[in-house]
Amino acid sequence: MISTGINGLDEMLGGGIPQGSRVLYSMEPGVNGQLFMVSTLCSALASGLSCLVILPHTTVDAFRHDVVAMRAGSIELSSEHITFIDAIDRERIQKSTRSQKMAQKEWKARISKICHEREVEVIFAYFDLIYDDFGMKGGLDIIRPGRDGPEPTLIIEQLNLEGAPLLTRCVQDFTFDVVISINASYLPVPHFDYFTLVHISWSADPVRSVPFIVTEGRIVPYIPRIVVTGPAKSGKSTFVSSAADEGLSVERVGTEGDPTTVAMDFGLVHGMGFEITLYGIPGKPRFDALISQMFRNTMGVILMLDATKPDSLTRAKQQISLIAGRRIPVVIAANKIDLPGRMSEAEIRTALGIKDDIPVFFLSATRRADVRYVLESLVDFITKFPY
Amino acid sequence: MYSYKTGIEQIDQLCGGFESGTNILILAPPMSYAEQLAYALTKPLEGEYAIILSTNERASEVVDYFRLSGSDKRFIGLIDAITKSSTPGIADTSRLMFVSSPTDLTGIGIKFSNMVETIFEGEFSEGEPGLFPPPIRFCINSISTLLMYRKLEVLYQFLHVLIAKLKKVDGVGIYLLNSESFDTRTLSLIKQLMNCVIEVKVEHNISFLRIHGIRGASPDWQKFSVSKGQVTILP
Repeated sequence: MISTGINGLDEMLGGGIPQGSRVLYSMEPGVNGQLFMVSTLCSALASGLSCLVILPHTTVDAFRHDVVAMRAGSIELSSEHITFIDAIDRERIQKSTRSQKMAQKEWKARISKICHEREVEVIFAYFDLIYDDFGMKGGLDIIRPGRDGPEPTLIIEQLNLEGAPLLTRCVQDFTFDVVISINASYLPVPHFDYFTLVHISWSADPVRSVPFIVTEGRIVPYIPRIVVTGPAKSGKSTFVSSAADEGLSVERVGTEGDPTTVAMDFGLVHGMGFEITLYGIPGKPRFDALISQMFRNTMGVILMLDATKPDSLTRAKQQISLIAGRRIPVVIAANKIDLPGRMSEAEIRTALGIKDDIPVFFLSATRRADVRYVLESLVDFITKFPY
Repeated sequence: MYSYKTGIEQIDQLCGGFESGTNILILAPPMSYAEQLAYALTKPLEGEYAIILSTNERASEVVDYFRLSGSDKRFIGLIDAITKSSTPGIADTSRLMFVSSPTDLTGIGIKFSNMVETIFEGEFSEGEPGLFPPPIRFCINSISTLLMYRKLEVLYQFLHVLIAKLKKVDGVGIYLLNSESFDTRTLSLIKQLMNCVIEVKVEHNISFLRIHGIRGASPDWQKFSVSKGQVTILP
């Protein structure tokens, strides 16, 4: 397996890219997604793999500087494991050949020679100009070294000016194993960037999209909002504070003398290859209008309940009805299992009227490991969920 | 809807300037000073912003031109597709960005988006506030150069996307194209993306322009000159 260099993406691919695969990073125009290919290149080099980088649009020097700027620090691109074909080589080929056919032959010969001599294991190709010159079929043909032994892994970055039809062709006609489309949501300027896993040849998972942020030269998949809801005193604030690396809670002393959330709990979680923002919202019915608003743009919901209080399930059922029909992944977190008298999963399912498509987890929100497990399961659920 | 004054009396008096979302093609032969006309239309007025994609001049030369015509450089952004090939280590700033070559449409698209985003975030002009939403004039100082390096169909699709983004931010676009270097199919395809075409010609060292696509504008050739970023229609 070759790591993409992006932890969350590796998870979604089931560990990374299998050797010999064909991968497409399809870039929507204007989206700052060049770090995807660069991250995978850096990761391959760090693993000691022999790499050929084809950059017909730029020179090696300019590319090195761009990569350093993108990765926010120095990076070893002068390693013995890397070979380049750049814009100067392209110009030489153009000048030395009299026809497109001859140029194609020359490209193929050069790439084959390098692959053979350097025992190239991964080819990274910036494909735009090759696609202009030779089309998809001809372009892919020159990149296949045609040597004995295993095929190198092929990673392509392509500016996608054709939209979905290009992605479909890559999957159906050109048998790419992984197709990842990198896009932005415009409002009217880019509001957030996201990637869509359009196709994985070894998985039947549906198409799904995940926002990402760039931090310190790394791409980090980002879940902008997970809402933690549930009846009052089910342990939502405890859950958020146990899960979060940073955050705050807004509590006041309630009528019964114990603290109650009067606004919202907020937590930032760094983990599982993701950045996640958690919002814990108060459980009292007077906040239901707020809950409905919070569910807009939410990527997942944790419904907390007190597993020792069957009478609280009526309220939990009301809260599930607020989520119903919104196509948001939901998990039930049955809390306080460290206390006696907890209900069974069957009792909870019956009382809430939920089927197997909503998982139920038992935990103690005071235990960070339990909380993280629920969160990891929800992230896993989110990354497979067809929004 | 915001109107972009052109400095061309005939247009400004007729319709108050270019409506936001207008795309203007300047179709001109070489050595006709059409670049000066394009820059005059791109020159930002108070509170406006300009972004120039330079495919045939270094950023420093373009900035000099605007400085000499009295523009505030804090409101001008340059995407330079020339300098990086000779100075690979040159670094981007918020108003000066570099792409490796005019072939690099991926880079051009990214830098354009970054610059527009910076303008909207108010981080472009060193704290000097412009209008909001920000009026943006965008200029490509030659589509001809891009056409030399990329296929017509590819460039058409790319410009189509770029123009759609410019429309979303209510900007105007000014694009220069050499009228003598390309066949009629190329010219007609590029024209399809535009709402207004200004033809330029030079006879006996005198420049003429003719405007198409603005209702009421004279269809006749008119003498003009450009001085310090100001277009004057001559009698």
